Amino acid sequence: MTTDADLRSEVSGWLSEHWTAGGHRATFLAQAVDRGYVVPRWPADTFGLDLPDGQARIVEEEFRKAGAPGSGQDRSNLWANTLLTYGTPALRDVLLRPLLEYRVRMCLLYSEPGAGSDLAGVRTSAVRDGDDYVINGQKVWTSSAADADFGMLIARTDLDVPKHQGISFFFLPMDQPGIQVRPLRQMTGESHFNEVFITDAHVPAVNMLGQPGEGWKVLQTALMYERAVLAEANMGASIRSGQHGDVDVVDLARRHGRLDDPLVRQGIARLLSLKAVNRWNNQRAQAEARQGNSSSVASLGKLLMSTIVHETGRVQTEIVGPEAMLDGEDHPDGDQANFAAMNAYFTSIGGGTDQIQRNIIGERLLGLPKEPEVDKNVPFREVKRSG
Amino acid sequence: MTFTFSDEQQALRKAIGAFAADHSDEPTVRALAETDAGFDPATWQLLAEQVGVAGLLVPERHGGAGAGPVELAIAAEELGKCLFCGPFLSSAVLATALFVGLDDSEENAALLAALAAGTHVATVAIDEGAGNWDPAVASTTATESPGGWTVSGTKRYVLDGATANTFLVVAKGPRVFAVDADDPGVSVSPLRTLDGTRKQCDVRFEDAPGRLLAGDASAALGAMLDLGVVMLAAEQAGGAKTVLDMAVGYARTRFQFGRAIGSFQAIKHLCADLLVEVESAYSAAYYAAWALADDSADGTESVCLAAAFCADAFGKAAADNIQIHGGIGFTWEHPAHLYLRRARSGLALLGSPAARREQYLTAVLERSPAQQTGGRS
Repeated sequence: MTTDADLRSEVSGWLSEHWTAGGHRATFLAQAVDRGYVVPRWPADTFGLDLPDGQARIVEEEFRKAGAPGSGQDRSNLWANTLLTYGTPALRDVLLRPLLEYRVRMCLLYSEPGAGSDLAGVRTSAVRDGDDYVINGQKVWTSSAADADFGMLIARTDLDVPKHQGISFFFLPMDQPGIQVRPLRQMTGESHFNEVFITDAHVPAVNMLGQPGEGWKVLQTALMYERAVLAEANMGASIRSGQHGDVDVVDLARRHGRLDDPLVRQGIARLLSLKAVNRWNNQRAQAEARQGNSSSVASLGKLLMSTIVHETGRVQTEIVGPEAMLDGEDHPDGDQANFAAMNAYFTSIGGGTDQIQRNIIGERLLGLPKEPEVDKNVPFREVKRSG
Repeated sequence: MTFTFSDEQQALRKAIGAFAADHSDEPTVRALAETDAGFDPATWQLLAEQVGVAGLLVPERHGGAGAGPVELAIAAEELGKCLFCGPFLSSAVLATALFVGLDDSEENAALLAALAAGTHVATVAIDEGAGNWDPAVASTTATESPGGWTVSGTKRYVLDGATANTFLVVAKGPRVFAVDADDPGVSVSPLRTLDGTRKQCDVRFEDAPGRLLAGDASAALGAMLDLGVVMLAAEQAGGAKTVLDMAVGYARTRFQFGRAIGSFQAIKHLCADLLVEVESAYSAAYYAAWALADDSADGTESVCLAAAFCADAFGKAAADNIQIHGGIGFTWEHPAHLYLRRARSGLALLGSPAARREQYLTAVLERSPAQQTGGRS
């Protein structure tokens, strides 16, 4: 086996030969896939090198140092990992390589108007028709739906078994007449998501991941990769908040002449404390992971972040006072405070509401019993629904 | 490295935990809380002998462990978990830190050895009623005469004042004097405290002879208070952990409406929020302990943050624990109120969370001068 040092010099040598900052990205990615560097942990017959995690990280590090794209997709490419784990050989042959070369655009077709927190309650149907399945239903909260080539879809293939058992998982081709994408306007006025209306859309049966009825299991794998990616990227909740960056509440208070107000100061201090504590929790989770201890702190970050973003909106609103009644470019501070207060719901609802997070913490970390589930062991057809 | 405990530190935690299990169960704590002294000197000495807790801060050449803030925080947390009754905060933390930080005389060497052995108890007399433990506002006077110094003044909320052998009195200046508790110029009035596991006294000094501790008293007092509030924070993180475990244990086993009450989201969500508080308090306390150990640039900030955060977290956890227990939690027989008493008095001891937050923000602003110049954009 190659030593760490040899591997490092091998990768950096290869990079210096093949990667130039302004060079042709697609060509480079194709070469990196051939070389095995984009998915070093994967087996050799699926573009990998069979490397242990420690060595795979060396490959990633060298790519990062050189500023080269594409490595570490065996951890970070949600689509490719899900496909590798559960896809049919036919689908893998067609899509795996293009996914690793970033030539396929993807979207998620999970949530529905009637299945939010209770995702296993999806009602979009998939009915077998020859070599295809025919899909009907409505999905929501889908980013990048208009440009996507495929959507990872969960749909119901069996109404006569309990809800978790009748779901199947597909790679649905998005470019077809039965799919209509409509932008969804958020309460902030922004549009980052779409509603997707699916009417008699077709998906080949070979595009099913896992067996019929195994969709919930496949989804858990996909969600696990999605969480890992989110945790690593710490993605911003919104394009706009990305542009504005972290509003400096201290500077805001100073400009509004409120930095001497003891109430405002307490609010700012509480907010900065929460941010610091959240950082320290993350630092601690990493330290505990390094020492081989499983850490529960990592699971608490989302709830704490939700408190932080709501508190940010509250403190900004308190500082700007009457300007919080105003909006638009002429009143940037009021506008920003209102945006922060409203956009905070993105964090406390999206990706699992605070209430669902508390259930998860209570049940998985504290070992408290679940609520009785009235829809458990009931054929889905008989489960009560809204309206 | 911050949050990475050494084998020795983990062994210390285990040893204190084991000692506490043997010597600080609930009946013991309840019995000691009813006594005037508030602790059993024999147990305190045994803890000093077996685990070295009393001498953690004492340098090795004086018979101590020469340990630092992280080891001390481990002790504070473990003792806080079981409401251990003993002069840990008063003597092993505050007074010892002041002795170590100031004077290196022969007399102190003997005293430090006795403190490390747990045979001698010292405490610090700072506050005069303002409740902010600010040495700068001390009005106690010190007078020098050919026979030496004498101090006069009245101190409030003196921890373990009734059992201390030596008072470290903060006089105007500030200057620090070691005063013998047996001197006729010292009168101690025990206070009836909300928390029986931590005794307090008013102490009056009338021309009491005192030995001036040499050195930069202002700096030493500042360092002592930083260390003290972090240890109080670690103790609160430990107490908060215990009440959360208590609440969760009850929520799992108490049945109403045919279900464990922890299956109701009203209870489950309270517990989940408490876990966030408890884990965050732990992170805050140990981050601050490491900041003191490493003499980090963000030391003052993290000390003030930990003090405010942990006091509030323990206050909330102790209160919610009672609510989760319902009727049984409202009884004298149930231990929940013992923790609420400790938590509530911790919201005032060494200063309030609001005052600490104010100090935290001031420290943050001082450390980021770039922000001061931010004009209107």
